[in-house]
This record gives sequence, C-alpha cells and structure tokens, in this order.
Amino acid sequence: MRKMFISLILPVSVIIIWTILTTFTGLIPSYFLPSPSEVLQSFETLLMNGQLVQDTSLTLMRVVLGLTVSALVGIPLGILMGWSNAVKDFSSLMVGIIRPIPPIAWIPFAILWFGVGLESAIFIIFVGSVFPILINTLDGVKRVDKVLLESAYTLGASNSQVLLKVAVPASLPSVVTGLKVGVGVGLMCTVAAEMIGSSSGLGYLIFTSTSMLDTGSAIVGMLTIGVIGLCADYLFSRIEKEVSW
Amino acid sequence: MCRLSFQQNREGGELVITLENITKSFIQEEKEHTSLQNINLNVNKGEFLCIVGPSGCGKTTLLRMIAGLDFPTNGRIFEGETEISCPSRERGYVFQQYSLFPWRNVLDNIAFGLEVKGLEEKERYQKARKYLKMVGLSQYESSSPKELSGGMKQRVAIARSLVNDPQVLLMDEPFSALDVQTRHKLQEELVRIWSEEQKTIIFVTHNVDEAIFLADRVVVLSHGPGKIIKTFNINLNRIRDRSTPEFLNLKKEITSLLEIEL
Repeated sequence: MRKMFISLILPVSVIIIWTILTTFTGLIPSYFLPSPSEVLQSFETLLMNGQLVQDTSLTLMRVVLGLTVSALVGIPLGILMGWSNAVKDFSSLMVGIIRPIPPIAWIPFAILWFGVGLESAIFIIFVGSVFPILINTLDGVKRVDKVLLESAYTLGASNSQVLLKVAVPASLPSVVTGLKVGVGVGLMCTVAAEMIGSSSGLGYLIFTSTSMLDTGSAIVGMLTIGVIGLCADYLFSRIEKEVSW
Repeated sequence: MCRLSFQQNREGGELVITLENITKSFIQEEKEHTSLQNINLNVNKGEFLCIVGPSGCGKTTLLRMIAGLDFPTNGRIFEGETEISCPSRERGYVFQQYSLFPWRNVLDNIAFGLEVKGLEEKERYQKARKYLKMVGLSQYESSSPKELSGGMKQRVAIARSLVNDPQVLLMDEPFSALDVQTRHKLQEELVRIWSEEQKTIIFVTHNVDEAIFLADRVVVLSHGPGKIIKTFNINLNRIRDRSTPEFLNLKKEITSLLEIEL
C-alpha cells in the first residue's frame, strides 16, 4: 500500500504540472503539447470509434508473433551456444557483428525481402528481440551450478540427458529474463516496424496523428505502448519469481 | 581396459576400488604443483573407509578421481577390473555443497537416477519411496528442496545416490556445513544405512572425530603434496561411544599426526 502510494507521487505530480502549464497558464500551446484533458478527449474518441482497440490488438499480435519467432530461434540457439564451446566459437563472431545493428537499419531489407506488411513488421521485431533472448539463455546455460551437472553425471545421466534434464531447467530463470527484455525491445521496434510495414497498429497511430498535428492521439498511442510494456514486465516478473531457483 | 586376473586382497575379499600409484599435479603461475603423490590404496567390498587430511591436501581431488570427475596425471584407478574413465551410476557421489535439483520435488530428486536409466514411473517412485523412508523423510516427498534444512537436503542427496544401488558410495565432507547435533545424528544414520545396505563407502573429511566414529579404516593424508602417512584400523564396536579411552586415544594420535603436518 505504502509502496503503491510512493510510486504514484511522481506520475501524479507530472500530470498536475502538465495541467498547470497547458490549461491554467496557457504557457504551452496545444499543438506543442496537448493538455491532459485534450488527451482524454482523444482517448475517448479513439475508444469509441474502435480504433484504439483495433490498433492495440494488432500491435500486440505483431509483438507476440515476432517474439514467438525470436523465442523459437533464440532459445535453442542460446542453449546450444551455452552448452557447446564448438557451437559458441563457430557463431560468436557472427552474432557479435549482427547484434549491434539497430533494428531500424534493417527496414530497407525487410521491405525488399518481405514487402510491405505483417512479415516485415515481424521481421523487425524479431531482429530486435532475438538477441536479448539468445544472450540471456546462453548466459544461463553457462552459469548452471557445476555441482548440479556433476551430480547428474554421477547418477548415470548421459550428456544429452544432463543437457535436457539439468542444464535446460536450471537456465529457465535466465530464459524468462531474456523474454522479459525481449518484449521491451519488441515493443520499441513496433513503431519502426509499423511505420513501414502496415497501415494499422499503435506505431502507425502515433506516426500518422503526429504528422496531422493530432498530438492528443499520438500521446494516447504512446501511453498505450507504455501500459502494455508495464503489464508485460509485471507478468514476466511474476514468472521470474515462480522459476527462481 | 580390463585386467586379466580378478583382484583379491590378502584376506581373499573382493576389491571394489584400486588406486595404483596416483599422482596429480597442476600448473599454476607457470609452476608445477603436485597435489597428490604416489597414492596406493585398495578398498574392499563392504568397507567403510575414511580419508582424513588437512585442507588443501588433495583429498577431494582423490575422491573426484575415483568418481571419474577428475583424472590423475599419473597412475591408474580401477573399479573392480575396469579402469575408471568417466562418471558412472556405480559410483554414487554425495557432494559437500547442497546439490539437489531445485526444480524437482524431493521424490523426483531421488528418482532422477532411475528416470535417466529409463524405469517406468511407478517402479521408480516405488524404489525412491523406499530410500526416502530409509532416510526418515517420507512425509516430505512432495516438498521442494528449498523448504528443507541443510541436514534434510544431505539426507535426500544420500537417498538419491543409494537408489541407484551403486558399487561404492563416495562422500565428500557431506556433513561439514551442519551443526554438531545434526552432524552426529546423520553420522549415526549413515552407519545404520551402511550396515543395512552393506555398501562400500569412501568418506572424505577433515574431522578426525567423524572419521573415527564412522570408519573401519582411516587413511591419513599429509599436507601438499598429499601422501598417505598412516593407516589406522578402527576395531571398535558400533554405534561408537566418543567418550571411551580407545576412541579418545585414537583421536589424540591422529590429531597430533595432522598437527605435525601443519
């Protein structure tokens, strides 16, 4: 309760100051920064005409699809790289070079390869979120307590059994952390992905309303992404707690 | 690598583990250090052997080499007639650190060895329950390891090794993190389990009292490089009384031997 109160102080103060600056003193014109009541109005409009629900669900779908592809690629690859030094040596330079490239830089190729549409958006989200998942998984497998692995060997487990029955479950907490970071990065990529890849979604909403000086709707889009991120973070933190061994 | 003749000791009993001229050295800061030198040791079937020595004498390394988790620089180690080259379910190992799988409950921890062997669920739980009962933790079968005390964790670890019915049980200071009362209780239980199951046990410790309480034979190692300086046969009736003059004299003798080494 006390914690919740403390965490509310800052956002509430920001809203108060924001209201004072925009509505009561008129120091800031509304095209520069819309007042909270204008944002609320845009929110109501977008909610009533169904655009917000539609854009949110489309963005969520893209993030979930992109993240699924990332998990399907990143987790097995991370496990193999963490388990086998040969695989790690084989792929570490490649990963090291590709990883720092910003997801946005892939946009031209995404369009070339996948055209304008869902596939491009998923590709951009994939490029952004696969590395946190891969690196965290790899790290988790590397840091499995040696005594657990040795216990399994002395109990008669084969190499593949030690990998599947010990190393993989033992690194599960790191995998979840990787997914948590991946969701965050994935969400950040949606704006970029939807700028090119579609005519819908929260990224598209932000982009188009800003260009039409409908700053209220833009802020609604931004805050919605923020809230989705917050919920995803909360969800994965709960899972992290469940699997913290 | 098999030997031609079956190994027998002087009394004609069966040898479980044979160490032939074991030397272990490692390189640190470009200098070669010898941690174990010319260790020759035979372990008989059904024997309770304790290895005592000051910390850093290489006794854990010795046990790890018997397990197949580490390898000698020179010399050979045999289980029966076969040279040891890798870990096996025939050589159970109880670690000093807590080593239960935290994502498995107590019963599934004990059943691990049977699971990787490919036993049906019903059969492995039946066997696992038998050993869980042996260590007195039947009511904890669905508990998570983090709900257990240190002593309980080590009991489960012992049960987890025994369920595989190994030729020899290797124990590396398994009770060193426990308080004195718990440690004494577990020592008594271990002696009981050892005589019930007729296992061969090799137990490493730096605690002289523990070694005399448990062992048929105590092997004393010197400080780096570790060599066998003396072997004591302990012919006292079990469960041993720590306050008898024989016990105390042995304790004094072995302790002073170790003090010279330090």
